[in-house]
Amino acid sequence: MPEGIEIQLKKGVLDLCVLALLSDHDSYAYEIAQRLADLIGMGEGTIYPLMRRLQTEGLVETYLQESPAGPSRKYYRLTQAGRASFASQKAAWASFARAVETIVGGAA
Amino acid sequence: MTRQAFMARLREGLRGLPAQTQAEILADYETHFAEAGNAGRPEAEVADALGDPDRLARELRAEAGLKRWEEARTPSSAGAAVFAVLGLGALDLIFLLPILMGVAGVIIGIGVAVVAVFLAGVAVFAAGPFVGVPGGAGAALLGGLGVMAAAASAGAVLTIVTIGLVNLLVWYGRLHYRLLKPALEPQAQGSVA
Repeated sequence: MPEGIEIQLKKGVLDLCVLALLSDHDSYAYEIAQRLADLIGMGEGTIYPLMRRLQTEGLVETYLQESPAGPSRKYYRLTQAGRASFASQKAAWASFARAVETIVGGAA
Repeated sequence: MTRQAFMARLREGLRGLPAQTQAEILADYETHFAEAGNAGRPEAEVADALGDPDRLARELRAEAGLKRWEEARTPSSAGAAVFAVLGLGALDLIFLLPILMGVAGVIIGIGVAVVAVFLAGVAVFAAGPFVGVPGGAGAALLGGLGVMAAAASAGAVLTIVTIGLVNLLVWYGRLHYRLLKPALEPQAQGSVA
């Protein structure tokens, strides 16, 4: 399967990407879904099971905020645990990416 | 697929979950359609981009089942977690079923044995002083207590092992969430990453 590795890579970093987006600014599910769909080609519907899981794990929490258009939106923000998890995942990703680049980048 | 058809299939798939959970999930997807509508996207395109509602419902149900297990480690929530994982319908999980049943059988067997040994201890403890056992009544009482204690600790170990096994299964199930459909796996329906 040629696309197999790409899917697995994306699956592995999806949590990290969502945490990274939320560490930049609080956001609502539709916006997160749009950005991930644009940037890494994620199926839009999958954001909801993912956000529920992150909520179960206590990494994100929700609050309601008025939106300029229409009813108020459910925003997600990182919890303390979410920030800590993002920091450690980010560090792990950086060192892993460097290590892989060292091996793969050197090969013809 | 129309918005209505998508929502109807999702609602169908979520049946059996707590009413509040269902309402929250359905509201999330309704909001998604509304936001997309405001952005000027046609409903059919949005429904396609969301993916297969049956699959989404399976994942959401699985997550709810696993959550129950994490909140309360009871036999019924263990059952819910096991079914949640199997409900994902991944092929290799189906192959796992006979092994699971074997393991469950062994656990139940050992559990029954532990209870039997405990009852035997009770019997020795209670009846020992009245029927002449070698060593006298004192030995029977102590021996009975000892057997009960041994059975109780074996039961405790068995419980810990069972909890560990269910946790392992939950971890394995999470690993199997096929979160990225359909945009990432447009046609590889049967393939499990």
